[in-house]
Amino acid sequence: MSDTVVNADATEILGKGDTIISLRGVDKFFGDFQALSNINMSVGEQEVVVVIGPSGSGKSTLIRCINRLERHDRGSIVVDGVELSDDIRAIQGIRRETGMVFQSFNLFPHLSVMDNITLAPRNVRNMPKAEAEATAMELLERVKIPDQVRKYPGQLSGGQQQRVAIARSLAMKPKVMLFDEPTSALDPEMIKEVLDTMKDLATEGMTMICVTHEMGFAREVADRVVFMADGEIVEVGPPEHFFTNPTEERTKLFLSQIL
Amino acid sequence: MEIGHHPGIPYHEAPSDLPPDHRLSPGEWVRQNLFNNWYNSLISVVMGLGLAFALVQTLDWALTSDFLIIRRNLALFMVGQFPRDELWRVWASLYLLVGASGFGSGVLFRSEQADAEEKGLPVETHSWSEMLRRFWAIVAISIFFVSFARTLLPYLGLVVGFGLFVVGRELGRRLSPALRTRGLFLSGLAGLASLLVLAGTGGLGALAVGGLLGVWTLSEVRNYAEQHGVGSGQPVPVSRRVWRWHIRYPFKRRVGARLASWVAGVVVGVIAWFVLRTVDLSGFGWDDWGGLHLTLFVTVVGISAGFPVGVLLALGRQSKLQVVKGICVVFIEFSRGVPLISLLLFSSFMLPLLFPITFGIPGPLTRAMIVVTAFSAAYIAEIVRGGLQAVPRGQIEAAQAGGMSVARIQRLIVLPQALRAVIPALVGQFISLLKDTSLLSIIGLLEFLQTSDVANAQTEFLGQGLVAVTYPFVALGYWAFAYTMSKESRRVEERLGVGVR
Repeated sequence: MSDTVVNADATEILGKGDTIISLRGVDKFFGDFQALSNINMSVGEQEVVVVIGPSGSGKSTLIRCINRLERHDRGSIVVDGVELSDDIRAIQGIRRETGMVFQSFNLFPHLSVMDNITLAPRNVRNMPKAEAEATAMELLERVKIPDQVRKYPGQLSGGQQQRVAIARSLAMKPKVMLFDEPTSALDPEMIKEVLDTMKDLATEGMTMICVTHEMGFAREVADRVVFMADGEIVEVGPPEHFFTNPTEERTKLFLSQIL
Repeated sequence: MEIGHHPGIPYHEAPSDLPPDHRLSPGEWVRQNLFNNWYNSLISVVMGLGLAFALVQTLDWALTSDFLIIRRNLALFMVGQFPRDELWRVWASLYLLVGASGFGSGVLFRSEQADAEEKGLPVETHSWSEMLRRFWAIVAISIFFVSFARTLLPYLGLVVGFGLFVVGRELGRRLSPALRTRGLFLSGLAGLASLLVLAGTGGLGALAVGGLLGVWTLSEVRNYAEQHGVGSGQPVPVSRRVWRWHIRYPFKRRVGARLASWVAGVVVGVIAWFVLRTVDLSGFGWDDWGGLHLTLFVTVVGISAGFPVGVLLALGRQSKLQVVKGICVVFIEFSRGVPLISLLLFSSFMLPLLFPITFGIPGPLTRAMIVVTAFSAAYIAEIVRGGLQAVPRGQIEAAQAGGMSVARIQRLIVLPQALRAVIPALVGQFISLLKDTSLLSIIGLLEFLQTSDVANAQTEFLGQGLVAVTYPFVALGYWAFAYTMSKESRRVEERLGVGVR
């Protein structure tokens, strides 16, 4: 690395409970390309962390490392007291506790909305059918689309699909929710319904890490904003400080471009 | 093109914005479609003349040919050299098979209806005229074949056969959807029993029946366990703690239920097989099978055994375990890389030399079935592999993020989507297989096409060029089944919504 900037440390949790996720000195390479370099970050229980940054800055890679959709090359990641390693059972245990929402929804097209939501609880948690379906209905009420339960993903709008995807993740009763640009593939009029669902979730005390370009959401909901560029954490801070009074030049440049 | 949009809803039912089309009168239709401009008119005239010529020629052939060769040899075409005084076995097994498939199809129909009701989708009503539209080619060809019979008995047999299908299907669709699994197992068992009627209890038929009984037992035990809360992760009421160690090791409950179901399945299967073997109802060794019967039998075996093997090979080829992957790649590439004829010859002349003598040398039909299964499995594997690659990476990631195991992801997420995407190619492979069975004559099996040559070699018909009569007859037989397969595949595609947005 020719870059001399020392990584900002994002290990200080602001205000809220005990540490549930902790990354120490995490590096990730894709071939010769270094996607993450020396990431240090912690997330507390019930904390909402919003990760922003230009495209290609490693935001998505960062949260995909947390549930091991990507394998990190150096450093340690501890989620809910378990360190990520090649032990597939430990990883499956962690994945059960972390819900993930994708940019492209990734609903299962061959299953109805109900089956999409009940699949993992029934197969991974061995939940009886009736209980899983009752939970699914509750969650669909929560994301405000209970009337879509019998439809297939292809029959729903993008915003509805993403809310089903959120309900699907919540059905596993996760301790942490990871959002990977959940509104980037949506038409503008549908972004609000998804963001509202996420705000409700944050208000209810869910621990969340959101990669997003929605600065309004970050300002309103985040406990901390993490700014990344070129695979490094450049600046960390509470939103009021971050958006009004950033210290790093790169942060200022990024904010001036998008605000 | 997205896969799996609007599954379950045939696209012709989708609301249309187009104005309702008014029906064209025949005259208008001809003017709009055949003579709308000068070059289309020219093409229409030329093609029309050609068609008329072909029609006249065909009529001439049909009216002037002597069909005595077919009337004399109808049994030869249908069942080859099967001993004529044992023909009742063929009829009996046909009845069992037809009744069983009628019953099974009825059960499936009813459970699909129940699914649609539950999901609030449009429910299909049962209609026999719809069934006739789907299977008209097979019905027509059966009547056509029987029309060459010289006695009344085959006519009667045909009527009984159709009657049994109707009765079976009507019974099947009156079965409660809750009994779906049992209904399907029952129909499968009756279908396999048709093998026992034909071939006795000594051979592979007994093995297949034992295997199916075993699987049935396994599923019953597992259902019982699930219904009583064993293995659900829920606390089991004390009165239901069947096995003592449930109390001591409650976390092993699910494993216990699985193990118990496997043990019960294997025990029942082996006992059934053993009993059938011991009873040894003498049947008819299947190396004397022939004709259309043999062709259809080998095709069905090649499809139903080749398909699961092919799917496993496709999954194995993607495996990270290098040994598994290597074996699969070698098997697939070898089977695909050599002509079917050479595999058949190899099985016929080399296999007996290589086979350990203690097992006895399997007969020609058994060897042929093994080869055909291996051959079709290799092709199916490559088709399925294409489907596996078409499933987006995000699907697997979403399932992984939910904490699902690799096996479950493949079974519940990847395979359903992959297979759905490759139905047209798979059915193409099945149709090829039907026609490829004509190569079985190379190793001395009297399959459908070969019967034509045998009939023409009879002194009475020798050297009279009567292949011009028998080949079209045989070709029509192949066509009826191939056409029905392709028609059914289109129906399945439409129902599953392949390629429909």
